[in-house]
Amino acid sequence: MNVERLSVGTTKIKELIRDLQDLYLLSARGLLGLGRKPFYAKDTLEQMDYAGSGSFLIILFVSLFIGMALSLQLSAELAMMGLKMYTGRIVGLSIIREIGPVISALVFAGRVGSGIASELGSMILGHQVDTLRVFGVDPIKKLVTPRILSAVVMLPVLTIIGDAIGIFGGYFVAVFVSHQSGTVYWASVREVFTFENVLAGSIKPFFFGYLIACISCYMGLSTRGGAIGLRRTTTKAVVVSFITVIIADFVLTRLLFYVLGFSV
Amino acid sequence: MIEFDNVHFAYGSRHVLRGVSFSVGVDERLAILGGSGDGKTTVLKLILGLLKPDSGRILVDGSDITQKTENELREERVKFSIVFQEGALFDSLSVKENIAFCLREYTHMSEQEIDRKVRELLGRVGLEGAMSLMPEELSGGMHRRVAIMRSMAAFEPKMLLYDEPTTGLDPVNADLICRLILDLSENGKGFIIVTHKIFDAIKVAQRFMFLKNGTIVFNGDKESLLRSPIPEIQIYRSECIVA
Repeated sequence: MNVERLSVGTTKIKELIRDLQDLYLLSARGLLGLGRKPFYAKDTLEQMDYAGSGSFLIILFVSLFIGMALSLQLSAELAMMGLKMYTGRIVGLSIIREIGPVISALVFAGRVGSGIASELGSMILGHQVDTLRVFGVDPIKKLVTPRILSAVVMLPVLTIIGDAIGIFGGYFVAVFVSHQSGTVYWASVREVFTFENVLAGSIKPFFFGYLIACISCYMGLSTRGGAIGLRRTTTKAVVVSFITVIIADFVLTRLLFYVLGFSV
Repeated sequence: MIEFDNVHFAYGSRHVLRGVSFSVGVDERLAILGGSGDGKTTVLKLILGLLKPDSGRILVDGSDITQKTENELREERVKFSIVFQEGALFDSLSVKENIAFCLREYTHMSEQEIDRKVRELLGRVGLEGAMSLMPEELSGGMHRRVAIMRSMAAFEPKMLLYDEPTTGLDPVNADLICRLILDLSENGKGFIIVTHKIFDAIKVAQRFMFLKNGTIVFNGDKESLLRSPIPEIQIYRSECIVA
């Protein structure tokens, strides 16, 4: 029994190592594809449209309500300490550096990542990827590279918009619910609009976009086993993207603290 | 043109081909018969280098494709055209764009020339009016006809490969596809058709191979197929008698 368990465990570890190796290779080849002809401009623009304009409203809503909730929570706590005037500063800092990039990435993974995995998965099951290979077209160049590029471009754009909307949501609650002065809120927000803070918040979405696109493409292209297999890979793409974004966020935050000289 | 030499292949622990050996000439019309999961489609994918065998050699025009890289395989693949099961048309492209796919990828034809070529190809299968339709708007038979024409659009393949081209079609459409397959091989071009519909295979092929449990249990012409005492072939043959 123990030998059997050990054997199953060994197989799973081998599969995990193989998956990580394949994911790494796909990510590298997808990225290298940016510098090699042919450039699939039309495919890239289509992907940007799907990822960008398609996710815009969701990110807008999520960011607005997160900003509002954050402002509500902070106003109540800060008021007890007589520090209500710092609401804008803390809302702004939290959203710009941390909540904005992470929430946008999670929404992006849920919507765009799952879409990529299911689309590529159904192309695998329908032999469309095999057809591309028979036609002499490199599926990584044709399918993966445009998706990586669109994620790397669109997620930062969506994050910036989401940050602005979140801070505005915070303002709305601070002024109309917590009865603070709007001028004080904006002055407080302005204090955290430093180069370091904006840079720290803007770098993360590039990495998150790249990771989400690579994971989703990899999961989609490794789909096997019909409709159930497709369901499994789509779920896996979202779950793995979520976990990776959270871990990457910590690693990047630590790195940026070090590089930008933020004190811990 | 194609030679399988003691080819073994497994999907994980499931052995699909066990020491398969056969050869096919460039002008031969071969049907590979067998049940689901008996490795028929796998044979086609191995010929194209889409899968690599666990052991054995696959020679195409005398050169072993199992040793070739993906880039080298691209040169080999243009010798063939394949129509996958259910057509495998690109969902996101219209019928016209599906057929024009390789023309855009590999030729410098103008938009007018592409349009003319697509019309000509669709005209051969009576689908000129379907140019702007999306794949989901096509019936099963139309799907296969578009897929066959797409595979002929840009290259001049030496040999044609068909994976279950009549599966799921009504007899009229299946007959239409069989006649199209014969038309396309009129100038002596060979093909391999993989199917479990023996009635359709007999209509188009000269030689028949029957795969069972990963081995070839029959390899011969129509007369020997119809006289074969192998129980599975007899079951398949009953389809012909009913038809």
